[in-house]
Amino acid sequence: MFLCCSLRSFGCSAEVEETLKRIQGQKGVQGIIIVNSEGIPIKTTLDNSSTVQYAGLIHQLVMKARSTIRDMDPQNDLTFLRVRSKKNEIMIAPDKDYFLIVIQNPSD
Amino acid sequence: MNISVVENTLAEHYCGYTQCSGHAERERERERERERASRCHGNLVANPYTNTATMSTSVAKLEKKKRRELVLRPSSGAINVSVSGLHGSTRRPNSVVASYSGRYFSVIGGSKMLEKSAIQAPRQAVRVFDEGNNDVTPRPLYQVAPGAVQAKASWFFVEEIPGGSASDQTSTTGGLIMPFFRSVLGSSRISTQSTIESMNEEIENTFSKQDMPINLPDVQKKREIVKEQVTEEMLKDIIDVYLSETSTISLLDIPNTFVSADADDAKAIIERNSQYAEVCRNRMGSHKYVDHSVQTVNGAAKNKQVQSDSITMVDAATAASSLKDMGVFGSSLNAESDLQLILSSEKFQHCFLVMERSILRNAFQPKLAAYRQLPVLEDPDSPVRPGTVEQRKEDIENSRSPALKCLWAFSCELSRGRSVSSMAWNKKNLDLLAVGYGELHSSNQKPGLVCCWSFKNLMWPERVIHCDSAVTSLDFSSNNPSQLAVGMHDGTIAVYNVQSQINISHVISSSKCPDKHLGPVWQLRWTQTELSLIEEQVESLSSVSADGRICKWFVFISDLNCTELMKLERVHNKKKKAGGNGTEKKSVLSELTPGLCFDFHPLDSGLYLVGTWEGLIHKCSCSNSQQFLQTYRKHFCPVNCIAWCPLSPELFLSCSSDWTIQLWKQDHCSPVLGFSSTQGAVYDIKWCPKWATVFGAIKEGQLEIWDLSANILDPVIVQPAAPGVTMKSLLFHTQSDCILVGDSAGHVTVYQLKNLRARESNQVNILEGLISSAASRQFCKTQPDKNRSIPTA
Repeated sequence: MFLCCSLRSFGCSAEVEETLKRIQGQKGVQGIIIVNSEGIPIKTTLDNSSTVQYAGLIHQLVMKARSTIRDMDPQNDLTFLRVRSKKNEIMIAPDKDYFLIVIQNPSD
Repeated sequence: MNISVVENTLAEHYCGYTQCSGHAERERERERERERASRCHGNLVANPYTNTATMSTSVAKLEKKKRRELVLRPSSGAINVSVSGLHGSTRRPNSVVASYSGRYFSVIGGSKMLEKSAIQAPRQAVRVFDEGNNDVTPRPLYQVAPGAVQAKASWFFVEEIPGGSASDQTSTTGGLIMPFFRSVLGSSRISTQSTIESMNEEIENTFSKQDMPINLPDVQKKREIVKEQVTEEMLKDIIDVYLSETSTISLLDIPNTFVSADADDAKAIIERNSQYAEVCRNRMGSHKYVDHSVQTVNGAAKNKQVQSDSITMVDAATAASSLKDMGVFGSSLNAESDLQLILSSEKFQHCFLVMERSILRNAFQPKLAAYRQLPVLEDPDSPVRPGTVEQRKEDIENSRSPALKCLWAFSCELSRGRSVSSMAWNKKNLDLLAVGYGELHSSNQKPGLVCCWSFKNLMWPERVIHCDSAVTSLDFSSNNPSQLAVGMHDGTIAVYNVQSQINISHVISSSKCPDKHLGPVWQLRWTQTELSLIEEQVESLSSVSADGRICKWFVFISDLNCTELMKLERVHNKKKKAGGNGTEKKSVLSELTPGLCFDFHPLDSGLYLVGTWEGLIHKCSCSNSQQFLQTYRKHFCPVNCIAWCPLSPELFLSCSSDWTIQLWKQDHCSPVLGFSSTQGAVYDIKWCPKWATVFGAIKEGQLEIWDLSANILDPVIVQPAAPGVTMKSLLFHTQSDCILVGDSAGHVTVYQLKNLRARESNQVNILEGLISSAASRQFCKTQPDKNRSIPTA
């Protein structure tokens, strides 16, 4: 099972890498973090301390947001979360296996 | 249980032990001792390990030489000691009563002199009797060799030490003494039987009162201290005390080394000697030397138990594969494999897609808002740049005149350098745009490219299709919105399904069709035809190509096959030949003229117009493939584009390489209006879908927007192309006032129309009014005769 996963990944990883690079090169994107389900960042373009900080704090926030949505309607689920702040915008795409976090400052 | 030991004899080597002098006769003594067993107050060390009794010097000043038998009896009273000396002297009361711990030492301390007595007391045999007078004498574990030599002096030395230290103490405890003894013994390394025995004796002295068990490491003979009751008679006995000197015990013997006075280092040695002498002298009062004894307290051990939850163990195994290093955090294999799994999952890619779109939407928010005709909100938090304030003022000033505002350009690395040849909207998803790239006029044909762009992702196309040859035309189907028909330079028509990027491949291709086009397919169109039999809209693909044929395509066993709609025959100008023989002759050359464009009537899909290389526009019908219905002559250069007006179905526009744009009415043989501005071939022309009087045209170097309600002589907006770039294709957005322009550098620029005064309603009326007024100026009437030449208006 693991072998076939890795084979698959070779096929798709080039495209994924390309997409990642494209996103990173977009205007104002400050960083991209991919966090696994345990809250450990597994890929990042930021420095270590910021990554760990973001991963930890955002994990909690997403849990809270998700529980809020589900409390209001158990059939519903959180698909995307955007936090707009003064300096930048944090976009989080949560899933049960991972989080994708992108920090962007669109007015750059 | 107190064990009373009746001492019978004294061991010989216990010289220095005080021994009771007693009766000469053994038996009498023995009996008496038995009587007195319970009455003696002496200290006795019972040696359970040996039958021989050893006598301690509890009664310090007394010495006995008599061999006694030590009998241990259980007694409730004090331990009796009765000793009898060897010398047979009269019994004297033991002046020294059994000395208990404290006193014992002082007594012993004074017994130094007694050592001279050199009493060789014979060993005593110990016999232990229990309460029932049974002999329970333990057997010895170790038999000492009778010829063992004991140093006599050691005993006193050992004795002295405790005496000195304990003199200060009123009551000593066993714990203090025992380690001290042992340490002394250990350090001096003199372990003689006597010493050990004395030690044992002393220990037992101290412990006897407390009845503590004595466990001594040495298995040598112990002397028993027999306590016997001191009777009046005993007190009156005369006891002889014999003192003897023990041999010298040397603890440390470093012989002096002698150095000759003439030696080299003699002087140094002499100096050191004198220094040392000085030190010794000064020892007493000097502060450098401090006598200090230290005692460590052995803390009592305490056991404490703690209970904790059992730790559950789980075995986990992973296999490491040679994964490319992607800058992964936490070097565990799990994290890396996680990453790969995540990245390759479908959900993640979708997630990426959404994220990318969100980012871009943020980045391009004002422009997208303008495109969608939403109010552009200023970001309150964005820092105000110094240039923007003036720019806003400028904008307000220029807001009166119609203008084009450039919003953004679709461009990516794939498309850069390729010329845009055609563009088409998706019929269902109005945000999806297909752009075909291909060099139309160059000799070396690069393979073509089709990109499907979405307005949600401005930086990268949603779909990319690589084609074999340059793409010349595109169209999306309406029935199957994901089907895209692509016409290519080599005459092939392929239909692609753009649903998913992964399986993108042409569904059907006309490459194997025997009737396929031999020249570039200049235009494609999906049309809805209504079959009378089925009464539903069937879609068919029509194409016009440079080989002069207009074909209608249908799918036949996963291949495209065509039926010919029309052959574009050359129509000669009869007028010119009229001067000749007056007869029409068919030329031997190919009679077909390339068709460059066509357009189907918006209402009647069986009716269409074709523009030809000759400059003629033919009106044809799908049902009649032999004859043109009508021919419109005006252009004398190839007609590049024809467009029916979507809002007013009688009108159509045509543009040509003769630098003119003509507006025609369907039943008029000559154009109602003609437009010409600058010198340049007009490549493309499109009606604005919202305003009937507005249309756009692309000339070689510029984009022109005409507004007929404002000005029929000049375009209201002229947008020059970027330097070095020619515009190639034009497309109006169906719902907003945006225009897309494709150019030869591969960019598709999106412009927004601003301030066109043609925003009022009833544009159509205005247009038709214009047309009618213009048409009335024409003199001749149109006739449905294709051979008649019509003078131009």
